[in-house]
Amino acid sequence: MTHLVIEEGAPTRGRTFFTFPLKSYLPALPLLLVVGYFFLFPITKLIYVSFLSNENTLTLGNFVTAFKDPYKTGFINSIKIGLFSAAIAALPGAFAAYFIETRGSSKLRRTIAVMNGVLANTGGVPLAFMFFAAIGVQGQITKILKVLGWDIYAGQFSLGTFTGLLIVYLYFQLPLMIIIFSPAIVALRREWVEAAYNLGANQFNYWRTVGIPLLFPSFVASFLLLFASGFSAYATANALTVGNLPLTPLQIGGLLDGNVSASQLNLGKALSSVMILISALAIIPYLIIQRRSARWQKR
Amino acid sequence: MKFKRNLPLILTLTLFGFFVFVPMISAFEYSIRTPLEGGYGWKHYIWAVTQDDFVYYIMRSGWLAFLTVLITLLILVPTITWLHLSQSPLRVLIDAISLLPLVIPVVAFAVGAQISLPEFVQSTILELPFLYFVLCLPYAYRSLDIGLSAIPLKTLTEAARSSGANPIRTINSVIVPAIRGSVMATVAITFVLSLGEYTLTVLLHWDTFPTWVTFVAQENILGAIAISMMSLIIPFLILTGITLALPERSNQGRK
Repeated sequence: MTHLVIEEGAPTRGRTFFTFPLKSYLPALPLLLVVGYFFLFPITKLIYVSFLSNENTLTLGNFVTAFKDPYKTGFINSIKIGLFSAAIAALPGAFAAYFIETRGSSKLRRTIAVMNGVLANTGGVPLAFMFFAAIGVQGQITKILKVLGWDIYAGQFSLGTFTGLLIVYLYFQLPLMIIIFSPAIVALRREWVEAAYNLGANQFNYWRTVGIPLLFPSFVASFLLLFASGFSAYATANALTVGNLPLTPLQIGGLLDGNVSASQLNLGKALSSVMILISALAIIPYLIIQRRSARWQKR
Repeated sequence: MKFKRNLPLILTLTLFGFFVFVPMISAFEYSIRTPLEGGYGWKHYIWAVTQDDFVYYIMRSGWLAFLTVLITLLILVPTITWLHLSQSPLRVLIDAISLLPLVIPVVAFAVGAQISLPEFVQSTILELPFLYFVLCLPYAYRSLDIGLSAIPLKTLTEAARSSGANPIRTINSVIVPAIRGSVMATVAITFVLSLGEYTLTVLLHWDTFPTWVTFVAQENILGAIAISMMSLIIPFLILTGITLALPERSNQGRK
């Protein structure tokens, strides 16, 4: 009797509890395993450990230290360099993207796209060399400007200062802006310009009521991404500064390598967690805006 | 008339070109200096490529990048194809996960990897392709996702299946050729990003081509500048080659 009941119950149970999840989740397993193990697990553990004291008890002490000097200055500098480099690169980059996408030939656009792809990823020592060669103490531009009567090294300037770093960051921020803002320009349809002109608008009216309102969200989104890129850049800052400019990524690197000793073992993790939070505050709105504007950008 | 219309473009390109090429040319000028003899020559380039380490590190970075490309394609192509076909509830989740690496600064990711991955993973350089895979995921996923949205995937798969192809064969000989533009773009971005990755590599104490340049800079600065120039030109050539091999502005990515 019991035997019979079990035999009858088996298929239903199998379908509801076993077959269904397997069939609908199994093909995603390799991706989920790799991303889970090499990405989600480390990040989760990082955030968890940032709340641990040296004795492995839960504490907020690491964060208290993270918001005191010199780490406070590090955050302020990093946020400042992210904001400034994004603010300086955003408008020129947007205009460059507009002129290249609307006036350039297909060949030119593709060449520039490739070039920007490479430029947006330059950083570290190679980028530092380029700027040492151009506006370093013995740089070509420095010499030319000196002949013209402007010694850029007369004051406080050096490439390892905030201003120096800002100029160097523009080298990858500007191409990055062109890359991420171009799709919005491409999606502006000719018909809209024509429709506006047919309704009696002039160029100014078109931009005020159609062009700018359409592009503005993408512009803000691009600005946010640029901020995150400048805020978290490590390689270039590491190559240019010699510990004279406190920046959070460098401080984390120093703590990780043990170059800098801190009484709190998990301070570096707390700094990293705060970085993730700040970066998320910029990137998540960026992703949301991108997704929304993708709707009208589709043809 | 034509000139007047093109004036803003010419102006843009001049300014942008000036900003991009002046530092590049300045560095190039340094790299061909021969201070001892005076004048110019290819001495430092020859010095660089004849270093044993040059070949060693370029091969090392090359095969790490190759492995990253392999992992990316092997994992992503079948998974995204399946997500498109099955209407699985997981798609929303995986879409979101694929963008997550953009949110995490690489420095923070490096710290996380260092404290959480076990000894046997961290003692082999083979951890790098998997970590690079994560860094490239947002770009690779997006590119393949757009490619797969642009083809009649269901029709193609059904046709292949009813002609007797198994899933692997369907992917290899039907789907991949249909989205070759996206696949090539994915290969390009993944390869170039992994080849030039510095932050994660150096913080996890591995030596690859980009970190080796830092080391060379301490003993032969002009040689290091020569290597840096090459490290800019090599990705440029790879990307240009792949872009030119693709059909011009194909209808991929647009329905």
